[in-house]
Amino acid sequence: MVRRVLSLATGRIALAVLTVIAVLALFGPLLAPQNPLATGDHPLAAASGAHWLGTDYLGRDVLSRLLDGSRVSVLGSLEVAFTALAIGAVPGILSVHLGRVFEWVTLRLADTLVALPFLLFAVAVIALLGNGLSQAMLVTGALVSPLFYRVARAATLAVARSPYVEAAIVSGASIGWVVRRHVWAKVLPPIAVALAQTVGVGFVIVSSLTFLGIGVQPPAPTWGGLLASDLGYLSHQPWAPLAPALLIMVTVWACNLLADAIRDVSGEAGRALVNTRKARANRRREADPAPAPAGGVR
Amino acid sequence: MSTGPAPKATTPGEPAKPVLEVKDLQVHYGTPRRRRPALRGVSLSVAPGETVGIIGETGSGKSTFARAALGLVRASAGSVVVDGEDVSAYGARQWRALRRRGVIQYVFQDPLRSLDPDLTIEASLAEPLLVRGDSREEAARRVRAFLARVHLSEDLLDRLPGELSGGQRQRVAVARALVTEPRLVILDEPVSALDSANRVQILRILEELRDDGVALVFISHDLGSVAGIADRIAVLYQGELVEVGAAGDVIGRPRHPYTRLLVRSAPTLHSAPADRAERAALRALLNA
Amino acid sequence: MTTLSEKILTEAESEIESEAESQAEIEESTEPGPGHPAEQPSPVLAVRDVRISDRAGDREIVHGVSFTLTPGSAVGIVGESGSGKTLTCRAALGILPAHFEITGGSVEIDGNDIAGLSPTRWTDLRGATISAVFQDPASYLNPSIRVGAQIAEVLRVKKGLKRRAAHRRAIELLRVVHLRDPELVHAQYPHELSGGMLQRVLIAVAIAAGPRILIADEATTALDVTVQAEILDLLADLRERTGLALVVVSHDLAVVAQLCDEVLVMRRGEVVEQGPTRDVLHHPRHEYTRLLIAEHEQYGLEKFLAPAPEEDA
Repeated sequence: MVRRVLSLATGRIALAVLTVIAVLALFGPLLAPQNPLATGDHPLAAASGAHWLGTDYLGRDVLSRLLDGSRVSVLGSLEVAFTALAIGAVPGILSVHLGRVFEWVTLRLADTLVALPFLLFAVAVIALLGNGLSQAMLVTGALVSPLFYRVARAATLAVARSPYVEAAIVSGASIGWVVRRHVWAKVLPPIAVALAQTVGVGFVIVSSLTFLGIGVQPPAPTWGGLLASDLGYLSHQPWAPLAPALLIMVTVWACNLLADAIRDVSGEAGRALVNTRKARANRRREADPAPAPAGGVR
Repeated sequence: MSTGPAPKATTPGEPAKPVLEVKDLQVHYGTPRRRRPALRGVSLSVAPGETVGIIGETGSGKSTFARAALGLVRASAGSVVVDGEDVSAYGARQWRALRRRGVIQYVFQDPLRSLDPDLTIEASLAEPLLVRGDSREEAARRVRAFLARVHLSEDLLDRLPGELSGGQRQRVAVARALVTEPRLVILDEPVSALDSANRVQILRILEELRDDGVALVFISHDLGSVAGIADRIAVLYQGELVEVGAAGDVIGRPRHPYTRLLVRSAPTLHSAPADRAERAALRALLNA
Repeated sequence: MTTLSEKILTEAESEIESEAESQAEIEESTEPGPGHPAEQPSPVLAVRDVRISDRAGDREIVHGVSFTLTPGSAVGIVGESGSGKTLTCRAALGILPAHFEITGGSVEIDGNDIAGLSPTRWTDLRGATISAVFQDPASYLNPSIRVGAQIAEVLRVKKGLKRRAAHRRAIELLRVVHLRDPELVHAQYPHELSGGMLQRVLIAVAIAAGPRILIADEATTALDVTVQAEILDLLADLRERTGLALVVVSHDLAVVAQLCDEVLVMRRGEVVEQGPTRDVLHHPRHEYTRLLIAEHEQYGLEKFLAPAPEEDA
């Protein structure tokens, strides 16, 4: 799958951007040239050699604050996506196989969760449990999980009634075998698409919450928080919100690009893409007497 | 088969026990309120090594018969005995145990969809073996042996189904049904999607199987294919078995008006089929 | 605006791809085909030594097919998938897949050589002069439009009929194809009809604009035996009553034998045998024809049905 995504230009771009973001998240605080919390003498300074992206209203280095804030933003969005995946996907697959009661209960639960507005709910949870991003993201993840439930269920339903699944059952295969052997490969691509999308959505949510000042205590920098404080000084420094806004935008865009790339290479079209390549390789092998190593493309 | 049939049911001297015995089988579809009968009391037994053809048209219940014999649909009445075991009241677990023994196998109609498009041919073929617990090496060895029986080359093993022709795919599907050395294979329209050359090839393979002592239930709406391969033919009409007999008798001297209608409707090379008047007369007889 | 029959023809193009591809893999055989066009007066369809090539693979797929069709006659083409029988029909309908083209010979429909036809002329010709039915009737009808409306659409576009007249004619056509309750079927949706009924509707659509040639490409292959018998009867009936000329394409020699006066046996893009049906069946010259007949006798009803005494014409 990774190899197929990499064979597309869009996939390469998306992965490159996301790798850079990941590096920022991991090493951002170390890379920050200055202390992100240290106030300086030159508030609202323009970009210069000392402050590449200028300073904010307290004279803090914007670049350092951005780098330092990336970890919270990235981790937060990943938390949303993986919580949603964990809560949604497995019941989605099993809802097809585990009988009617389980199916009915999980379907109604999914409907209920969809009905709750997650931003409001996240705010409410923080009000209840105290100001912590982690709790907020867990709750948001749970509220986004019906997406995964539905995607996984739809993909499983399409496979479950197919003759090859029946053939496996006639051979005595258990539900576990059928899921591992036949369902997984068909469900994974749409789930990967949903995951990439959700990471993007997660970014927006984290940024929205931190923009509103929820989830992170004020001095600690986040992308959303930077955007909020920069917007306050728009009249002095009209270009200042550009840097955090662009970062958020590029990251979300890369996630969507990746989702598109995964969708393009999976399913029938993706199979055709790989098959034509393989056929071409086979033909070359036939023309060429030297045996080429067989590629384990699946 | 490379090894003989299972020791069960082959006590020398005695007549062999049927490998499939269906008695008064009834199957209903639909909701409890509006039940539609799909099979209304069908009785049929298949002796070891025997080839029984089941012919019938759309909606005659022939696929339901196969699915009931395999436990894929629940019978509402009647009994099914597979290889000496009464499976009528079997639950999921017992069915799984029976199926894992590989005594009874199934070949689906649609060669395009009966193989997982994401699995290599080798993985598809090895599945019944791995499910019953064979080691990977053992499975690989058997898969190769059975590939040869359906006249396919080993080069195909690492291909995906999408890279094979329809005829090749159907042969792979037949091979998958054979790897566990079943005593009974049920084939649901195995040649309907194939052109004549591939049809004949599959039928030849089935003949070889029959010569090896595997019992076959061959379900088709194509009278010609059934006539070509079956020892006995059963005719299903609206969920009822209207005629059972030796293939030559059923085709050559059909007794039931429906069988006559079927036989006389099929175009043959040498004789013109029934004209509209004759068919109408047979239909009238049938509805009377 | 495209008519239904237009849609039918263009949709059919995609289906052919697979056949063309499998064909491309078959290596070319070198034996020449015995093509001998029989000269008949005023043919409605004249196919003369048509060769079809795959531009992408730069190879010839169909190596010369010739036959002529006079009003009320029927020609059958028999062969396995990849033999080029379907490609030949597509060529006559002007709907070869994207990278295929006629590279030799000529096709004349009602006296017009199709080589110089403009797309507009083709649109006029299809449906009105030459028409076709294919294997899977359900995929050629719009599932969300009533059957009658779909037939009426063809009539209004092709024949310029007014709404009311088109409605009446559509019901008449449904009666012509022997549907038991034409008024009812007219108001039904495709999913309410059985496969046999759908194929009748498709035939009604195909003959709506009064074509002179009907190509039936595996039109009965997916149907039950008794339904097939009825459809074959219907085609014979249309031929007799309206002088419709038929091209019947099938992999089943018996189907072709029942309907056609002349048979072409194709293999790998080559016509290996061609002649009056009776001669081909009783005195096959080519080994492939003999093989087809032998297969019928071994794996067909013929195994148990004694051949009728041969009547020499």
